[in-house]
Amino acid sequence: MPVFRWGHAWDAFQDLEREVDQLLQGVNLSLHGVRSARRFPLINLIEKTDHFLLTAELPGADIKDLEVTSADGRLMIKGVRRGPEEARDDTFRRQERFQGKWQRTIQLPDRVEEDGLRAEYSAGVLRITLKKAPSSIARNIPVTEGPE
Amino acid sequence: MSDSNEVSIRLSVDDSVEGVTGPPSEMTDEQRLLFNPPIDIYETADGLVLYADLPGVTSAGLDLQVQDNRLTLFGRIRQQDSDGGAVVHEEYKVGDFLRSFILSDEVDHDRISARLNNGVLRVELPRAGRTQPRRIEVTTD
Repeated sequence: MPVFRWGHAWDAFQDLEREVDQLLQGVNLSLHGVRSARRFPLINLIEKTDHFLLTAELPGADIKDLEVTSADGRLMIKGVRRGPEEARDDTFRRQERFQGKWQRTIQLPDRVEEDGLRAEYSAGVLRITLKKAPSSIARNIPVTEGPE
Repeated sequence: MSDSNEVSIRLSVDDSVEGVTGPPSEMTDEQRLLFNPPIDIYETADGLVLYADLPGVTSAGLDLQVQDNRLTLFGRIRQQDSDGGAVVHEEYKVGDFLRSFILSDEVDHDRISARLNNGVLRVELPRAGRTQPRRIEVTTD
């Protein structure tokens, strides 16, 4: 009778791994180390019929500190997120919110009019509208008869 | 010795509440995602200050409640940017925010105030004043 079977050991290991994963999933939102190690801000890109919409979660940003630039098919957003003014390091009981300088660069999708960017900030969300270039609209190319 | 800096006021973060209470019942009309927002808590001369990141939440969608010793914040997202479009790149999911805290008795529940600005909630939790000796009138029949 085998005392130890590889098959079982492997299963057990996988179960443990699954359990640890579940444990971490539950924990990571309140764990300050994990949270602050994330990229900031997080960005989504949504394609609509005539434009792309780029959204970034930027709670507490000051419009004065927001910089949005585009060049060579890349969009750069940067800024600073300051911590609460009256708080000192030794008075924090918990600190999970990102603070400091941040910068993100995003490769713009093809066929975007770089001049047609529009940015708007409300309720802590930055939304940048990227107009699609008219060239992406299907065109009929006339074919003429050439000399033989 | 170190008592001079010791402040009796306490605020416990109750992360266990997630999934237990859930959002108010009228909110469960559809499948929605729920997130635990990141917070800062620090101490001031007057008490504690709590900050929570709630991007996308406006004051109309925010519900802040103190019941018994529990402070619960629930922020509802109204705008779904992905409506009528296809998500090409996704780093975050859009959902509502819920987080709960246990207040100690040293917090003056009646004077808690809150402000929501650019998706950041700031809650002031003032320390209750020192209890004044109270004279109890004794009457005779």
